[in-house]
Amino acid sequence: MASRPTVSIATAEGKASGATQALPSVFLRAHPFGHCPVHAGMAKNKRQPYAVSEKAGEQTSAESWGTGRAVARIPRVSGGGTHRAGQAAFGNQCRSGRMFAPTKVWRKWHQKINLNQKRFATASALAASSVPALLFARGHRVAKVPEVPLVVESKTFGGALTKTKAAIALLQAIGAGDELVKVQKSKKLRAGKGKLRNRRFRQRRGPLVVYNPEVDGKELVKAFRNIPGVETSSVFALNLLQLAPGGHVGRFLVWTSSAFEALDKVYGSTTTPSALKKDFLLPSNSVANADLARLINSSEIQSVLRAPKGEARTKRGVVQKKNPLRNKQVMLRLNPYAAAYSKQKLGQTKVEEGKPTRAGDAFNHVLSQE
Amino acid sequence: MAAERTNVSNDLVWQITRNQNSYLVRRNTGGGSQFSRDPLNLVNKHSFKYSGFANTKAIGVQATENGGVAVTTKKAANPNKPAQNQVTVTYGPNASTRKIYKGVADKTAQHGYRADLREEAVARVSAVRRSQKAKKETPARKPRGSKAQAEEKAE
Repeated sequence: MASRPTVSIATAEGKASGATQALPSVFLRAHPFGHCPVHAGMAKNKRQPYAVSEKAGEQTSAESWGTGRAVARIPRVSGGGTHRAGQAAFGNQCRSGRMFAPTKVWRKWHQKINLNQKRFATASALAASSVPALLFARGHRVAKVPEVPLVVESKTFGGALTKTKAAIALLQAIGAGDELVKVQKSKKLRAGKGKLRNRRFRQRRGPLVVYNPEVDGKELVKAFRNIPGVETSSVFALNLLQLAPGGHVGRFLVWTSSAFEALDKVYGSTTTPSALKKDFLLPSNSVANADLARLINSSEIQSVLRAPKGEARTKRGVVQKKNPLRNKQVMLRLNPYAAAYSKQKLGQTKVEEGKPTRAGDAFNHVLSQE
Repeated sequence: MAAERTNVSNDLVWQITRNQNSYLVRRNTGGGSQFSRDPLNLVNKHSFKYSGFANTKAIGVQATENGGVAVTTKKAANPNKPAQNQVTVTYGPNASTRKIYKGVADKTAQHGYRADLREEAVARVSAVRRSQKAKKETPARKPRGSKAQAEEKAE
């Protein structure tokens, strides 16, 4: 690779500050993935156990009546004086019976995911966040953003940004205004019981502001936290669930310049191990060039391809059947002799010997057995 | 993608997003139809060729509010700068449709931009223009049968 691509750093007004930074290698190595099993597993790890009561449907002293009473042998509620007496109980098919296979609190709620897989997934999701096409595909409104990845000078933060008003102004200046509007408009009442369980509304996710707490401080967390959809994360604690919500990569990230700088320290490169993660090297690219069209059309590939077999004739699909007796071209395709036949006008020539002579009388006598 | 980013390509983006993306509209009707809401998709069809976000070069044709046509193309040079990445040419409501055809055809095919999209681009301009035509009012129905007779008597 010739030179490492750079990213320009934006000022708080959204203009280029003139300073640039080399793209950290985490963006250069990773092949972003689509939906991944790592996310599916991690999303499960915040669940709390639930189950139906162990006693549910089992709180009667029902006994089967046995055979001979012309009713099913299901346990029946004992006693009398109430309608309940004599009704079937316990079974999952019974009214007021226990459910089939009652849920248990000891279901396997959590998934263990290998640390290396989680790191790999996070790195891939980070790489994906630097591709505008994937941001658009996730639905982020980033058409007015000056550059992706979007890096803002750290001096904008660093204790200077404490008010939500200023935070909104910053996001609007860097072209994220449409994104904020999108999030605000997306707020909907949740369908179903989640409404009663502290998940009343659902809305889209907006930008994720990634900062370096050592340089930028933590005041910006409070400044951003009341803006709908906007989340903040320390660069040292990036989480796959925030980088790829719903398992779809390409989250819109807003970097502070110091956080962006720290990425090389956090993730290292393919050759130098990460300074903060034990035994972690970024995996090498599985292909050097991911551009399929470029690979196929490269002279290296084209020069070793053999010529295609078969005729240079496309197979006819479903076409109307033509009558060869009326359509000459179809006739010629079916019968190669037809050309010569018509050219020599064999169809029109008379028989050369003229008419056949009549058989003589002797023949007629024999024929009629006279 | 950016020339210097060899780890990302249009093909890769498409493989990641072909099953799920924000523009995709899936319905069970019509044997599981798949459409795209991408503004840079000329035929609103969910496919790599027509997808606007996954291709570095794409063209979109949209009606403008005043009855004109807006033609948007993507610049291939700086895919990482979304704000500078799109060029829009707007044709007013009085522009001749043939001129727009010519402009769109030249834009796609003449400079080797996306020659494969020429026909679709022109077709979309045509469809947009047709949709912008003022609707003819349906003529009042002539009375028939007993109503017609009643009217005749009145005269």
